[in-house]
Amino acid sequence: MSPVEEENPRANAALPRGLAGLWLLLLVLWIVFNASAAPAILLVGLLVASAIAWIFATRSAVWSDVLLTPRVLFHFLVYTGVFVVEMVKANLNMLRYVYAPRIDIHPGIVKINLRLRSPIGRLALANSIALTPGSLVMDIDGDTLFIHWLDVRTTDPEEATEMIAGAFDKHLGKVFG
Amino acid sequence: MAETIGSIIILAGAFFLFSAGVGLLRMPDTYTRIQAGTKASTLGNILVFLGLGFFHPDWALKLLVVAYFVLLTNPLSSHALSRAAHAVGIPMAPSTVVDALAERNAARAEKNGSS
Repeated sequence: MSPVEEENPRANAALPRGLAGLWLLLLVLWIVFNASAAPAILLVGLLVASAIAWIFATRSAVWSDVLLTPRVLFHFLVYTGVFVVEMVKANLNMLRYVYAPRIDIHPGIVKINLRLRSPIGRLALANSIALTPGSLVMDIDGDTLFIHWLDVRTTDPEEATEMIAGAFDKHLGKVFG
Repeated sequence: MAETIGSIIILAGAFFLFSAGVGLLRMPDTYTRIQAGTKASTLGNILVFLGLGFFHPDWALKLLVVAYFVLLTNPLSSHALSRAAHAVGIPMAPSTVVDALAERNAARAEKNGSS
């Protein structure tokens, strides 16, 4: 897949949007699981990946929001870095709560605003939030996420959005739109 | 040498998994217990995979994929559990400050009742 094709969706109008990304993901997974790139294995992988990617890209709109460009890849990597840092912070925080002589927390459920539009971007954000400092997604209602927060510091939706989702929003927005 | 580093990383992972267990016992209510279980066990698992990677460098890519699967699926189960717990009305700890979800549900019930 050349980058020119992806930046100009009209050039390959016959191919469903998002097919390339899904196809590449499946093929890489196949090669990793087989730990080999022998011609026979590669051929089977190519066929199976093409078939599955075709079926899912034509039947579901979810993948159409993921376009594979160098910029998207870059932001995905930055996002992974931010995520790892946040996750380690979350765990150290959790250790502090768990081993404190008296557990002194003020849990609660707060609302935050969703800025991401695409379903897969929202999924990624919700999963990231669940793994970071003391927050857990409980429900989604339109553009509002309900979050169980281990130590509520503000009940204002705007401030809470910044504190909980601020770190991820920017890069996920660039990746998934 | 690599095996010593791997062992230390696996030990660190085991410590996080142990802490997740302690958190499950010490936290005051269902929701905070789910939080303790989800977070500490995710990092614990990933550290164990990382340590394994030092023992078997040829598994590195497979372990990375497994780690991504854990990252994708672990939060899903915690969403499902906590949402179900809230829906059937399992009480929250007395120290709870605010419950926007219950407020939303109450507002919705009122609207449906009046119309």
